[in-house]
Amino acid sequence: MNIIETKNLTKSYSGFTAVSGINLHIPKGEVYGFLGPNGAGKSTTMKMFLGLVKATSGSFTIDGKKYPKDRERILKETGSLIEAPAFYGNLSGEENLEIICKILGLPKSSVSEALEITGLTQFRKRLAKKYSLGMKQRLGLASALIGKPPVLILDEPTNGLDPVGIHEIRTLIRSLPEKYGCTVLVSSHLLSEIELMAGNIGILNHGHLLFEGTLEGLKYDAAAKGYPVDNLEEMFLAMIDEDNRKRGTVI
Amino acid sequence: MSAWLEYKKVKRTGFIPLFLIGGILSAAVPVTNMVFRAEMYIGMSGTPVQILLGANWQLMAMFNVLVIVTGTCLLYHIEYDNNSIQKLKSLPIHEGQVFLGKAVLVVMMYLVALVTEAAAVIFCSIHWFVTGDGFWTELCQNFVYMFIIGLPCIALSLMVSEACKNMWISLGIGVICVFMASILPEEPFFLSLFPFSMPFKILAGTEHAVIYIYASAAWIAVTSLAELVFIKIRRSLE
Repeated sequence: MNIIETKNLTKSYSGFTAVSGINLHIPKGEVYGFLGPNGAGKSTTMKMFLGLVKATSGSFTIDGKKYPKDRERILKETGSLIEAPAFYGNLSGEENLEIICKILGLPKSSVSEALEITGLTQFRKRLAKKYSLGMKQRLGLASALIGKPPVLILDEPTNGLDPVGIHEIRTLIRSLPEKYGCTVLVSSHLLSEIELMAGNIGILNHGHLLFEGTLEGLKYDAAAKGYPVDNLEEMFLAMIDEDNRKRGTVI
Repeated sequence: MSAWLEYKKVKRTGFIPLFLIGGILSAAVPVTNMVFRAEMYIGMSGTPVQILLGANWQLMAMFNVLVIVTGTCLLYHIEYDNNSIQKLKSLPIHEGQVFLGKAVLVVMMYLVALVTEAAAVIFCSIHWFVTGDGFWTELCQNFVYMFIIGLPCIALSLMVSEACKNMWISLGIGVICVFMASILPEEPFFLSLFPFSMPFKILAGTEHAVIYIYASAAWIAVTSLAELVFIKIRRSLE
């Protein structure tokens, strides 16, 4: 069963199409990797799911709810971290989460839970503006995870983290479906990173969905098209390169 | 709940001290004036409230309006700084509700400033004048009136702050509006209905008090409607 489905979802700006008629099928209770180079349309798609960007055409459902009719219900059930973490610099990490907790109508205990999950408990009293880049990213993750929402949308969640932090967050994301039964949509421009977290992937380039399916399916598909399959990174680059060539956008 | 949330958000921004200090500075105006020039006012005809507000309200209102402009800029600056507004938009809360929460907070703090100023007027009246029977009624009428006609300034200033991501632009617009208000002539009459001009009016000696109250209500209705339209347009452009 798919928890997120899109139907010809498109976002165009004047003279430029960021997302072009994509049809995504994100299965419930899994980590779905959203892959593509910078500017492929990953963040725009995620922003459309959250109502931060209005779709030009097409539609999508999240857990059977339609946007914009069920906007509030969708947002209540969706935790998100888009691009850079957003926070109130004048408030401590704990106070930032308390604000979100209040808006979502969650019990106070969910704040300490989110801090614990992201390893911020000992820094909870520190002002968010004094956090390091990695700690800010963790705070962003905590604000997405608070209340353990059924759907998590994470846009490049390991940005700014050190190798240890990256490993911790990857392990955390991988464990989320099993621990809390949630579905995670995670984006990255690195196939090697997605490979370590996601079972299903969608590859986006210039707003077009090039592939959707499992990693095994991707390898099979790539082999059939004559791309190198021994090294995933090379395979991904070959796919993107070929698509760029077709579209005449190669530099 | 929204106003309480907004109150929690302004922690350590200086928003609360701004209104408290603004109120105290404004309240110091009639006291200082009476300490140094009491003889100028004691012999004047009229009630103590009329004399004190007539002599000091322009400067007191200037403090109030500047505090409102700065305070509203601060309220939206914390949203745009570090992009917290994006997080807010991805939560199940309507932007109009956020605006309303912020407006209620500013109105409450404006009320605190007005109460401080009223205390100064009471002190001056009791200390330097003889207060008659109708003193308390007149005082309350004046301050309630000044509270009501200050509301459009809060609504408009808040809207400007919401529209500008850069705090310095909204602050600049606010300051320009304050100075425009101080140079706008009283005639033709409609010019005095400019939201930033209205807080400078006092009840005593005006024939247009009721018009100003209706104008305040109209401005608030127009601003609320404009706010809803603004949110819709901004959303469709994103």
